[in-house]
Amino acid sequence: MNKYINLYLLEYSINSLLRQKYKNIFITTILTFLIFILSSMFFITSSIKNELQFSVESLPEITVQKLISGKHYDIEVDRVNEILSITGVNDATARVWGYYYFVNAGVNFTLVGIEQFEKQYKDSLQNLVDSSKGFDESNAYIGQGVKEIMRKNYFKEYFNFILPDGSLKKINIGGTFKSDTNLESNDVIVLSKENMRSIYGMSEEYATDIVVKVANPDEVATVAAKIKLLYPDTRVITKNDLKVSYQNIFDYKSGVFLALFIVSLFTFFIIVFDKASGLSSSERKEIGVLKAIGWSLDDVLKEKFYEGALISVFAYLLGVFLALGFVYGFGAPLLRDIFSGYSELKTAFELPFVLDVQTMVLVFFLSVPIYIASIIIPSWRVASMDADEVMR
Amino acid sequence: MILSPEILTIYILNFLFFVFGLIALNLSVKIYLKYDKNSSEPIQYTLERQSYLASTIIKYIFIVKVPLFLFFIFTLDKLSNVLSGAMCGAGVLDATDYGTMLITLKVLNIYLFALWLVLNTEDVKHENQPYIKIKFALFIVLFALFLSEILIESYTFYNFEIDKLVSCCGTLYSSTSDSIVSNIFAIDNKILVSIFYANFALITFAYVFKSKYMYAISNLLFIVVSIVSLIMFFGTYIYELPSHHCPFCYLQSDYYYVGYLLYALLFMGTFNGIMVLFKDDLFKLSLISNLLFVILVSGYVVVYFLKNGVFL
Repeated sequence: MNKYINLYLLEYSINSLLRQKYKNIFITTILTFLIFILSSMFFITSSIKNELQFSVESLPEITVQKLISGKHYDIEVDRVNEILSITGVNDATARVWGYYYFVNAGVNFTLVGIEQFEKQYKDSLQNLVDSSKGFDESNAYIGQGVKEIMRKNYFKEYFNFILPDGSLKKINIGGTFKSDTNLESNDVIVLSKENMRSIYGMSEEYATDIVVKVANPDEVATVAAKIKLLYPDTRVITKNDLKVSYQNIFDYKSGVFLALFIVSLFTFFIIVFDKASGLSSSERKEIGVLKAIGWSLDDVLKEKFYEGALISVFAYLLGVFLALGFVYGFGAPLLRDIFSGYSELKTAFELPFVLDVQTMVLVFFLSVPIYIASIIIPSWRVASMDADEVMR
Repeated sequence: MILSPEILTIYILNFLFFVFGLIALNLSVKIYLKYDKNSSEPIQYTLERQSYLASTIIKYIFIVKVPLFLFFIFTLDKLSNVLSGAMCGAGVLDATDYGTMLITLKVLNIYLFALWLVLNTEDVKHENQPYIKIKFALFIVLFALFLSEILIESYTFYNFEIDKLVSCCGTLYSSTSDSIVSNIFAIDNKILVSIFYANFALITFAYVFKSKYMYAISNLLFIVVSIVSLIMFFGTYIYELPSHHCPFCYLQSDYYYVGYLLYALLFMGTFNGIMVLFKDDLFKLSLISNLLFVILVSGYVVVYFLKNGVFL
């Protein structure tokens, strides 16, 4: 190891950095701050992405929607039987769900309709039905966020849904609906399918969409193609499509952020370039002494790179460490609002801890090489000064 | 086009390399044309100082480029989730016309940059800098290659279409006539494996007799022979699947990232093997790396045979 790293030179570099305390503290602070912002952003993204991927994992493999003139319409419930007869299909369920706009608070609730004695397509719904209290078809079960909104509007025991014809439908609140991830259940109201149909004015023969369970993951693509062939007026979405689009959305979000961030990186580059170019008289003298006692241009350059590597690696480690604490320790206040949207009913999600090595590598490439690049030319200028010139 | 942070990072660093590469190119041309070690004019002194800047820049590019190459491969693997049809880096590279060329150029450039570094260390060791003109001439050529690599890379990333269907490695490296490796499928595996071990024997032979030229040439040959036999023969034992001939899939977690180790050993072995032309003390390092590579790939075959009692 000592063949590659000269420990004496390293010691000299540390001392040299300490001699220029304020200048170096200034640069390290800026660099740490940049790395901190960047890695916090990526940590939040990867955390949310993980949570979403996790909830996608619990969904059925295929979703079938009916399209008329390119828009999503209600699908016939009869089609479930046809889809069930396709080989490889484990289970098919007609879902009734949608949004309900609550004018007083200006928020959208997600309404989910279930039937008590049906096999549920999601574990969280199955848990609700199986729970000790049981599921009462006439009641509504609401998520944590919905509960708070309703309480603020004095709906504690029941809620009045406004039907398409303008009349009111009073439904009692039976309890809260919980799931593994807050992202999934926060804005949800679970009702019976019958109540759902009357709220939406939907007839018995129709449902919002059909979800299909396929046991063998290798058969999903084939089954999806068969459904598409059977019902050409439908859009067939597989779980994999959803995963890919999540990945794309988040790549896009952090991509846009990074694209804007380039400006900061460039500014930083200029600052460091400038700082490293301007030498104080004591620094000049130091170079002069080094040159006079026989240091070559290469030695001085090497020493400058040791300094650069020390600063940038230190700032990198500190920045990433702080970001980990900020995101997973404190739940990333302020920054996470970028992702949670502007809705009144913000999902108060948790950020599960994911140690994303890839992100760390990414941030490393965006910080350390850029810092080192910005000191190449100034260091060379310093190192190529002549001893007599600077000592004079 | 995909605006993923990984790709943007590669763009940013490429831009940085390009700007610094231009500076180094400018200096290299000046040094190549005007440097004269027998002259004592002030300009020679300036040029000598500038040569330090140029070599620092080139060193910098190389040092960042090697981990960035691994990052590139990793990015390809990640993108293979997004492109429909692709299952590993091979499919992603196939998404545009120049993918294969890009990876070849990248590997070639790493070899050349490393060659440049060895030339440089040898050069600054001697007072009269015997290689100074050669090394900067080499950089001028290298810059052209490097520039085309950057351009092709940008082109490749820019032209990715998420909804376009690409081929998976299973079809790209299959024995059907239209796959990109169909020509080498014509070679019989027995012959190929014999060539592989014969080549390694030649390397060992050259090592025993310390014959520089033979050692370098046999190592150069070993790069091609190893990659072909990895695709054709040894790879199938890593996958334990006789029909899978992909040189990218073993870079994934399913095979414990063994591909990174394999390619790193192969690079260390063959690169140092070629470098013995300039530096004598590399013989041992090269031979050990090559030996480890051979043991590792043979190990997969032996373990498979011991487990199953048959060859694939």
